[in-house]
Amino acid sequence: MLDKLSLDGKVVIVTGGGTGLGKAMVQALARAGANVAIAARRRGPIEEVVAEVESLGRKGLAIPTDVSDSRQVEHMVALTLDELGKIDVLINNAGRTAENNPAPIWEVTDEEWRAGIDTNLSGAFYCARAVSKYMVDRGSGKIINVASGFGLRGVRDLYIYTCSKGGMLQLTRTLAMSLGRYGVTANTIVPGFIPTRGTDSFRRSLPGSGDVIPIGRLGQPEDIGPIAVFLASNASDYMNGEMIIMDGGGLAGGYAPTGHAPEIPIV
Amino acid sequence: MPILEEYRLTDRVAIVAGDGTLDSNVFTPYLAEALAEAGARVFVAARSADVMDESVRRANAIGGEAHGILCDHTNEQDVEMVFTEALNRFGRVDILVNNLRTEFGKSFDQVTVDEYETVMGRNVRSVFLMCRAAGTRMMAQGRGRIVNIISGLAERGLWNSAAYCASQGAVLQLTKALALEWGRHNIRVNAIGTGWFSSEELPLEEAQKELLVRFIPLRRKGHPRDIAPALVYLTSDSCDYTTGQPIYIDGGLMAHP
Repeated sequence: MLDKLSLDGKVVIVTGGGTGLGKAMVQALARAGANVAIAARRRGPIEEVVAEVESLGRKGLAIPTDVSDSRQVEHMVALTLDELGKIDVLINNAGRTAENNPAPIWEVTDEEWRAGIDTNLSGAFYCARAVSKYMVDRGSGKIINVASGFGLRGVRDLYIYTCSKGGMLQLTRTLAMSLGRYGVTANTIVPGFIPTRGTDSFRRSLPGSGDVIPIGRLGQPEDIGPIAVFLASNASDYMNGEMIIMDGGGLAGGYAPTGHAPEIPIV
Repeated sequence: MPILEEYRLTDRVAIVAGDGTLDSNVFTPYLAEALAEAGARVFVAARSADVMDESVRRANAIGGEAHGILCDHTNEQDVEMVFTEALNRFGRVDILVNNLRTEFGKSFDQVTVDEYETVMGRNVRSVFLMCRAAGTRMMAQGRGRIVNIISGLAERGLWNSAAYCASQGAVLQLTKALALEWGRHNIRVNAIGTGWFSSEELPLEEAQKELLVRFIPLRRKGHPRDIAPALVYLTSDSCDYTTGQPIYIDGGLMAHP
């Protein structure tokens, strides 16, 4: 049964694959046997990751792409098909966090809102749209969206990030309801607090040491690898429209401060 | 076939607890087999001899080392005996999988107190006793993984299923609360939520004549094999930052309005 966890010969596109969580996913996918197309805005980081993929004996393809531009997304898909022959899995991981500084709602400008939603949510929509017809026609495919615990709960003064990540969950569910009958599934990975360079801007809302997280530590990018491999593999074929939350127990709680443990005898 | 090292359960000892009605009982042998295939030694604690024998047979057939014991999971002494026997045989307990789901359907106004207590006993009290016995040992060892197999009815309602729904919701809440309480002891507690499953292998065209099957976004019922790899991840060391969560493997049912 566990052979299904292998990605031998599969082709995966990872957006935002040059750094942070995206890079960690690419590394795990390649170790599990996948050939990987890595898309991100900057060429430098993705070429480094491609070299890592190739050192494992898999094919890697660097495609500089701004996912908020649907023409570039179409090009990313066409180039992947040309160079790697097929697309089994799309991982929508690209997200812009640098501009998402917490701010009172009355200070968020139209431009900031549009730019944030464009990259974090529209980008995922464009990528899903660009692979969907191809996947439906061949009768198989997997779309994996990377959201955030902030897409399920509110965060003070953090509108763009929370709304775009909440939208990712609904994109997943709607794809699941629409494409499931054609053999194409969609699922979401929901990471919790994982410090990367991209989260620097709202570090203020991140706990410093992991003290407030039930298991007592912050997440590491490496935590996401085995989940991405599972969702990209045939081991998850019956999973559709769902999410895997990886947050050290944060969302299982959230009802009282961590460690609040009342003692109330039966009277 | 390259498979991530992170999914290996080499030298881990797993207790697989199985009890339930026909549809849930069929899972237990596949769960035992998956853990054995990943390298764990498996101790099966089942209410029925058929389930125990089939689970041990499947786990051994894939090259594992499995043993079984019969027990009543609602009985405190029986549960202690399971852990004593497992520790005698294997020396430690790293993993507990509870597949304890007795399904029950009846118009709620007709449900007797005895029926309600039987459902809650076999589905909730049993999980409570198994988790408590496991947690004590796992805290002493400084590590552990617990996975409760539940149904999507932990979060959704269904006609004639109020007692069963309540029992599944209870196990989901037990999962979340224990994840917090034992998180700092390096114990992870998660659940796998199932949907409509069957171990019958009907031709797809035949299966899709059923209205229920057409309601599922993936348009087929699940098979116990569909949840096995997720179980292996949740019981592995690499599942360290995921805790207190249900993972639903249900063909898209939970996305359905």
